[in-house]
Amino acid sequence: MTKQRSHAYFLAWAIFIFIVGVVLPLGARQYQLALLTEMIIFALFAVSYNLLLGYAGLLSFGHAMFFGLGAYTVAIVFNRIPGLSFFGAVIISVMVTTTAGFAVGSLLLRHKGVPFALLTLAFNALFYAIATKWHSITGGDDGLSIRLPDINLGFAHLKTTDITVFYYITLIIIGLMTLFCWYFTRTAMGQTVLLMRENEERMKFLGYNTNVSRLILFVFTGFLAGLAGSFYTLFNQFTSITAISIDMSTIVVLMVIIGGTGSFIGPILGACVYIYLQDFLSDITDRWPFIMGLIFVFMILYVPRGLSGLINSLIERLRGRWHLPGNIETEE
Amino acid sequence: MSDIPVFFLHGLVYAGLLFLVSSGLTLVFGIMNVLNLAHAAFYMLGAYFSYSLLHATGNFWLSLIVCPSLLFLVGAAVERFLLRRVHVYGHVQELLITFGVAYIITESVKWIWGNYPLGVNLGGFLTGSVNLFGLFYPVYRLFMFFCAILISLIMAAVLFKTKIGIIVRASVDDSEMVNTLGVNVPLVFTGVFGFGAALSGFAGVIAGPLLTTYPGMAAEILVDAFVVIVIGGMGSLGGALLASLMIGELQSFGALLFPKLSLALMYMLMAGVLIIRPSGLFGEEQ
Repeated sequence: MTKQRSHAYFLAWAIFIFIVGVVLPLGARQYQLALLTEMIIFALFAVSYNLLLGYAGLLSFGHAMFFGLGAYTVAIVFNRIPGLSFFGAVIISVMVTTTAGFAVGSLLLRHKGVPFALLTLAFNALFYAIATKWHSITGGDDGLSIRLPDINLGFAHLKTTDITVFYYITLIIIGLMTLFCWYFTRTAMGQTVLLMRENEERMKFLGYNTNVSRLILFVFTGFLAGLAGSFYTLFNQFTSITAISIDMSTIVVLMVIIGGTGSFIGPILGACVYIYLQDFLSDITDRWPFIMGLIFVFMILYVPRGLSGLINSLIERLRGRWHLPGNIETEE
Repeated sequence: MSDIPVFFLHGLVYAGLLFLVSSGLTLVFGIMNVLNLAHAAFYMLGAYFSYSLLHATGNFWLSLIVCPSLLFLVGAAVERFLLRRVHVYGHVQELLITFGVAYIITESVKWIWGNYPLGVNLGGFLTGSVNLFGLFYPVYRLFMFFCAILISLIMAAVLFKTKIGIIVRASVDDSEMVNTLGVNVPLVFTGVFGFGAALSGFAGVIAGPLLTTYPGMAAEILVDAFVVIVIGGMGSLGGALLASLMIGELQSFGALLFPKLSLALMYMLMAGVLIIRPSGLFGEEQ
């Protein structure tokens, strides 16, 4: 399949999903709309995580440090700066997480593999400790609640506390960001990251500065996770210690593994399945995290390529040799 | 100023506990190149098994022997039936499977024993205090410290004076070469993994009565133990010992001198060590 056709396929899919996203709320109840909003937010979080794990081969157990930092920054600036606009807070928040991504990344990226995984976990624990202990700023265990300002576009006044309005804002901003992530994987920079995972020595030999490329990727994923985190706070109009905890890092690992690391679509699928399952299972039993754990281990043992890998191989079987356009494959 | 010896002893006790947990972790990493994220979950299981056994029999000494043995079986089963299956897929999958096991164990613990702290009543002479050069110190903490020293000495004796120890140390160096020499390396892997789980479980049994038994205890010690093996150097037992002492004392005196900063101190030490020596104090240069 040529690159152009694969692009066209993906864009067709993206437009299709977007239209579904636009039409879907018309028949949905408020509760379902809230669930959809959460899915979109976590889809971006999972996609940003997969840029690290799937594309760069970096296993992190601390991705919630950026998610939580974004979530807390939004809550803090709304509480500290009166009259701040909706997007003003989001912009400050992603600037803070991007800076943090740069600081943490330049400390950690000298390591790879297992030590890297360990250090991300330790840094996440540090962020968590700060959030719990620095009570005067973060509210400690009580968390922080915010009053969501409306958006005034000049020609229209958007009431953000209305879930339908909030859903559309999330769909447009996070959706565009997710599309940009896909575009990023197709740029020279994204391909460099991919090739680095396959053979770093060779990339160095060809004259690429792999450390800089890795740092850029890490900062970019920190930025994305921060954006998802700030929307998480805006959506709940509250942020709690969970947002920055290792539990949150755990959740994103579960999502990405269930969805599959081998494709761009996988994490999005994983996030949707996870949020849906969580909603569905928590109605039936209090023990839903246990069931999630079993599903996770089952996936690793028997479906290592995740749901997207499963669907891919089904489609391939149905249509002979045919690749889904979302595949992360280097040969083209 | 009379606090200083007390805090020094507290630091030593916590260092002993940390060494019990991190030595198994670093040994497993050295041999199998697997970072066992379920290691602290085994520690927690040890504490909970001991709680139930104490409830049933009231005999603490019994649980000191039974719980680690049970955890040996749990650990060996995890290695044999889960870890070995994903070995072919590489380190990331291995790490993820131990992560899944840790998650399942934590959730099972919440399910079976409840999501709240459990107190353990020991009774007997362990609950009292003892006069130590004019300083009253709880017997139980001293007991923990001596347990840690005893186990470390036994471990050192096994590792350095027996044939099994030679095989294990050789496997740390080059497990493929050991395999070619006719040693059943997969069996060594299962044994070491189970042994690490047992050590961790033992630490859990002795930590339970002091640090309270609750579902968050695993995550708490996991991060500390990780910091220890990162500072000490991954796979190095001597490094784990030194780093355990450093972290134990740092936490103890940190709580005394800078109560607000005590958590951050540990990470600052780690960041400092990593900047100067990225592979840890005793780690091999990559």
